[in-house]
Amino acid sequence: MPKRLLDRCQPDSIREFRAAARQRFDDGLALSVAGQRTGAIYLWGYTAEMTLRAAYLSFIGLGETTPITQKEHLRPAVNQGRLLGVAWPPQGEFHNVRAWAELLVTQRASTPDAAYSPSFGGDVQRYGQRIGELWREFLRYHRNYAYAFEVRQVREAAEWFLVNSHAL
Amino acid sequence: MPRKQRTFEESPRPETNALVTRLVEELQQKDKESGQPLIYEELFPTGKIRVVVIWDEWDRLSLEDRTAAILQAYERAEGRTYRDKIALASGLTVPEAHAAGMLPFEVLPAWRTGDPVTLEQCRQAMVEEGASKLFGPDIVQLRFATREEAEDARGRLVSSLPGSDQVWTIAQDVGSVEEWSNR
Repeated sequence: MPKRLLDRCQPDSIREFRAAARQRFDDGLALSVAGQRTGAIYLWGYTAEMTLRAAYLSFIGLGETTPITQKEHLRPAVNQGRLLGVAWPPQGEFHNVRAWAELLVTQRASTPDAAYSPSFGGDVQRYGQRIGELWREFLRYHRNYAYAFEVRQVREAAEWFLVNSHAL
Repeated sequence: MPRKQRTFEESPRPETNALVTRLVEELQQKDKESGQPLIYEELFPTGKIRVVVIWDEWDRLSLEDRTAAILQAYERAEGRTYRDKIALASGLTVPEAHAAGMLPFEVLPAWRTGDPVTLEQCRQAMVEEGASKLFGPDIVQLRFATREEAEDARGRLVSSLPGSDQVWTIAQDVGSVEEWSNR
């Protein structure tokens, strides 16, 4: 008998986040083509979130397949962000795309010879801000219908993170 | 098949010039002690800088436009080289900064009937000191990142309102039990 869907989940890891980010992006595209705008945005937000989390955890040295846990990795990342001065409100903290983007920029800026160029770092922050203002994980509980320009903005930002994931 | 390249379109920006000009003036005014905006600069050992500008005037702007305005103001006030050292520029209103836990100290009037100053005088002095009016109707909050900043503000409030020494108090947000356990 085949394993059920949930039983087929690999542990959370950088590799899993990156692969899932691409899948969710494609899922979002399919939804947007079908006119399901809010659903598309909902999935693209996770694309950005997983890409940024993977980039940060990779930058601080976590292995590609090391299991990621909230206690050992995500909580310390949020605390590190706050320590570096990133505005990181407690509500929905692990899903705050803008804050993950700013953590990545700031962590690199505070590490010798690792800072992004002003232009690239500005883009990371900008696209993080853009998704941060249009997406929250609680969108799933609401029936709002997204505007076309909101769909375009989130898609462009999520796509930018995917395209540049190797350089993050 | 035609080959087409495109770049991401920039969304149209609202008029931010007035705020940039005001921020340039603030940056050049080195001896200003009080009032908004609160400008925090953190210099990393790498030479990079993180800038946070807390200002209720940001209320009408998107986060992107705030960042762009801050970088533009720094370039005009300090030059391109300095601007390129800024790794992260964030603009927040006072309520936004408070929600993120960045302004835990509050100076507030513990006013009682019979005090030598009126509550309205206190309110006015707080606004001049940089209090935010964005927390809600008829609510003003004067908030700071450190106790030292709050103590300094309290001193200035006492100077501007003689006899108000006993009125002002400083409170500190302590956060929830869950927040403490996560630290």
